[in-house]
Amino acid sequence: MVQSTSARKSLRTTLEVPTLRKSYYAQTLDDSKKGKKVAWCSNNIPSEILDAMDITSVFLENYATVIASKRLASGFCAAGETVGFSQDVCGYARMLMGYVLARDKVPEPPYGGLAEPDFLLVNSYSCDSRLGWFAAMSRTLNVPLHVHDAPYQPEGPSHSAADAEYIERELRSLVAFLEEQTGTKFEPDKLRARRAISRQTSDIMYEISQLRKAVPSPMGSADMFTAVWPSMYLAGTSECEEFYNRLLAELKERIDGQIGIVPEEKFRIMWSGIPFWYDMRLINYVEDFGGIVALESFYRTRERRLPPQDDDPIKDMALSSVRQRAFPSTIIASIDDILEAVKEYSIDGVILSYNPSCRMLYVSQTELQKALEDQGIPTLGLECDMADERTYSEGQVKTRLDAFVERLLAKA
Amino acid sequence: MLEQFRQYHLARHQNARVWKEQSGSQVLGTLCCCVPEEIIHAAGILPVRIMGEHEETTEADIHFPTNLCPYCKSCFDQALKERYDYLDGLVIPNVCNMIKAMYGFSKLLLKTPYIRFLEVPQRLSDQGVDYFTKELRRFKESLEDFVGKPILDEALHHSIDVYNESRTLLEKVSELRKKSPPVVSGSEVQEIVLSSMLMPKEEHNRLLAGLLDHIEERDDPPEAGVRLFVSASILDDTDLFALIEECGGMVVADDMPMGSRYFFGQVDSNSEPLRALADRYLNKIACPRKMLPEERLNFATDRMLDADVKGTIIHNMRACDSHLYEYPLLRQQLESQGLPVLFFRGEETETEKEQQRADIEAFIEMLED
Amino acid sequence: MLVCGIDVGAGNVSAVILQDGDVISYCVVTSGEEGATISRKVVDEALRKTPFGFDDVQYLVATGCGRSSVPFAHRQSTEVVCQAKGALYLLPSVKTVINLGTESSRVIRIGENGKVEAFTKNDKCAAGSGLFLETMSTILEIPVELMGNLSLESNGYEEVSSICAVFAESEVISHIHRGVSRDHILVGLHKAVADRILEILGVANVKSDIMATGGVAKNMAIVKELEQRVGLEITVPPEPQIVGALGAALLGQDKVS
Repeated sequence: MVQSTSARKSLRTTLEVPTLRKSYYAQTLDDSKKGKKVAWCSNNIPSEILDAMDITSVFLENYATVIASKRLASGFCAAGETVGFSQDVCGYARMLMGYVLARDKVPEPPYGGLAEPDFLLVNSYSCDSRLGWFAAMSRTLNVPLHVHDAPYQPEGPSHSAADAEYIERELRSLVAFLEEQTGTKFEPDKLRARRAISRQTSDIMYEISQLRKAVPSPMGSADMFTAVWPSMYLAGTSECEEFYNRLLAELKERIDGQIGIVPEEKFRIMWSGIPFWYDMRLINYVEDFGGIVALESFYRTRERRLPPQDDDPIKDMALSSVRQRAFPSTIIASIDDILEAVKEYSIDGVILSYNPSCRMLYVSQTELQKALEDQGIPTLGLECDMADERTYSEGQVKTRLDAFVERLLAKA
Repeated sequence: MLEQFRQYHLARHQNARVWKEQSGSQVLGTLCCCVPEEIIHAAGILPVRIMGEHEETTEADIHFPTNLCPYCKSCFDQALKERYDYLDGLVIPNVCNMIKAMYGFSKLLLKTPYIRFLEVPQRLSDQGVDYFTKELRRFKESLEDFVGKPILDEALHHSIDVYNESRTLLEKVSELRKKSPPVVSGSEVQEIVLSSMLMPKEEHNRLLAGLLDHIEERDDPPEAGVRLFVSASILDDTDLFALIEECGGMVVADDMPMGSRYFFGQVDSNSEPLRALADRYLNKIACPRKMLPEERLNFATDRMLDADVKGTIIHNMRACDSHLYEYPLLRQQLESQGLPVLFFRGEETETEKEQQRADIEAFIEMLED
Repeated sequence: MLVCGIDVGAGNVSAVILQDGDVISYCVVTSGEEGATISRKVVDEALRKTPFGFDDVQYLVATGCGRSSVPFAHRQSTEVVCQAKGALYLLPSVKTVINLGTESSRVIRIGENGKVEAFTKNDKCAAGSGLFLETMSTILEIPVELMGNLSLESNGYEEVSSICAVFAESEVISHIHRGVSRDHILVGLHKAVADRILEILGVANVKSDIMATGGVAKNMAIVKELEQRVGLEITVPPEPQIVGALGAALLGQDKVS
């Protein structure tokens, strides 16, 4: 029973991503063979620094979504469960612990598997899972681990000198760790060049976010969940910048030509939370009814007021980091953020995914849903793991989606 | 005398209200053992640790999804049921996902006037101590604004002394659990520890010092049981300890945030107070959210070996991520040293007790066999 | 010397009569009556096949979750210890006992010295238990005792991917509605049940020899699936449901001698 699980995309630029991704993974294997140092990283580890130091970065959460999208997660998760990581553990982590500790029990890994790590890098602030997961891998693989910390900043952007100084020192510790592991000296010039590209890319992505407000929608989540990939894993490269320039041009073209995703756009939906990677087709489901999932909660680039680029690239990173927050940190900020997005992007209804094993996002969904309904915005909550398809009942989900669509059409 | 501690714990809400009325001062709730209570104490405020109840959640279910840390959910449920309406403030530190989330939820849903987030570095480092020292200064200043008077250095030094004395006394009484035949039971010690998080510290120190003077001569010593160690993510009552004793076991040492992690390690009273506090609260608390496995597991294992136990019970609250990842590693380390392990996934429900009883009985029979 | 072991489980009550270390009789019945009544009936029933009467039993040990409801027991012992003792008697080289009961499954690890080293239990999740199979038997209209063989004879399978018993139930119903053949569903179902058991088994730590006990161990499709997944052979005794009672009887014998 082989079926395609990936979403139907509408933009030609998005279609470049699978090739980019495939060659990225091939490159990491090739690098490893050539003796380059390989770091297994969690998201939010600044890949520009690694890149500037000629270290190959492999982002495990991304690999987890690749496994999930090929519907291989259950095999990997089951393997992780047999080595003691219960079903309460993050689906991504469970899969990778299965891969690491019970490799003979997992299915054939995508892209020929991962390049073996020389060391591990994890950020400690985005969730408990990442830290626990990487710490467990470090211990069981007997590979060094460096933890990168930052203040939590629940109130959002910070202007505190103490916060910036702490991140700066943390980044310098990271650099020192990498120098020690690789035996090469960090060269600020190389990072400065990458920082400049990252800043430009960030501006382009902000513009893309603004353009997605257009009606009819020039680009829905079916495309964005894929198109966001280069920004996360090729940050600071010209390849990345060029990709988003092409994407921006295509968006402009579509807006000029009034080309929407569906022939006649009847309602617009926002997806809050992580999608179900094993059935991304679900995103397209509403298109048959004239609907479009026009926005997702994650990948909207909110307005950024970055300080001017500092000549010291590490300091520059630290300052940018405290002044911007990719995610709202408290439930209050999350409610403001989602209500603002609904308004600005002309959203008619919101689908909230409840991913129990991703506690950090899961905890807010009930209150967010309540806040939306209080404002008269129709919502649909779907509780399934983001990776482990054994928690998913396609029939039930579609039945509930049908009812949701009816509710939206009745309002339209 | 032991009964006093238990009674204080049971009537904690009433006691806090009475204290407030009599002192005319404020009461501040804290979550997690990494909040330096000394600063709160020095401001003349009574710090109390927030605890949940083994009771059906109702109010919290409207605001939270189902599959979350039952302890945090229970605490919030209690707050929404207005059991904590006497609190003037809440200090919520940067620890786990759920406690972090509680900050925003408290601001959104509770009427508590002062709600402060405390940044806590999540990794042990020099810059972490520097940063935490600065954060504690900011915290101290915000408390000064809140109470409307400065916190003097003398007051801070005094509070550190009071808390160091408390930690010494708690360490002493917890060491008595290890005696054979036992002088004090695991659940009795746990009542003393829990009440120390609720009672004015001076009062608790006085009672505990008095108890320690006479405890060895008590005429009702507890019955000896199979010696056990408990490692837990969070246990906010003494039910599990009492259950273990009912089944013929005895907890003689522990590794828990509402247990020995609360009183392990002193604050250096000769250093600059805020830096000394930052140092103790960052470096001496063996929490898996901050400490890497190597150090964490050795800390737990050393305490276990020192207590000469026959087995370990690991109790993790459902969905407590930090401890979930550590569990397979801890289990492996203990078993490789010949220490059997029994694992529980905590729910904070009444019904879980019967299942726990069956397992504890089997575990103890297995250890005795 | 005559001793008796009685296992009062959630689904069945069983008794084993031991004379000088040899099993001379046993009996298994479905629970349903109050513990004291039914346990006496089972012991009497087991004794009926012997020349002895109730008063001839020198020592009686009760085990199982209902062990405290046996008023005439001289001693109580937990399922973990009794399952291990029973399994060791039947297979002295046993290192792992997989006890598959009505409401919960349990894995018991036995050390080189014949003592229990560790046990894990699954009583939070319904999928994987005997009760779950009984529900499925009703939905599929296939008697429980035939499920295993029917599944083994099947030439294909339909995946039952859901982790949760409630989801799995609706998934199976939807398979039936789509006209999927029942033996194919059974194979998928048994794979899913094996998944749940594997979760508590901690495959990395499983040591041979392995014995499966309890009512669900009679379902050879599940046992075969487990064998395949673990990559090790699993022994099933002729009467997997009396292993606990046997262990209890052996414990009684130890006490008397």
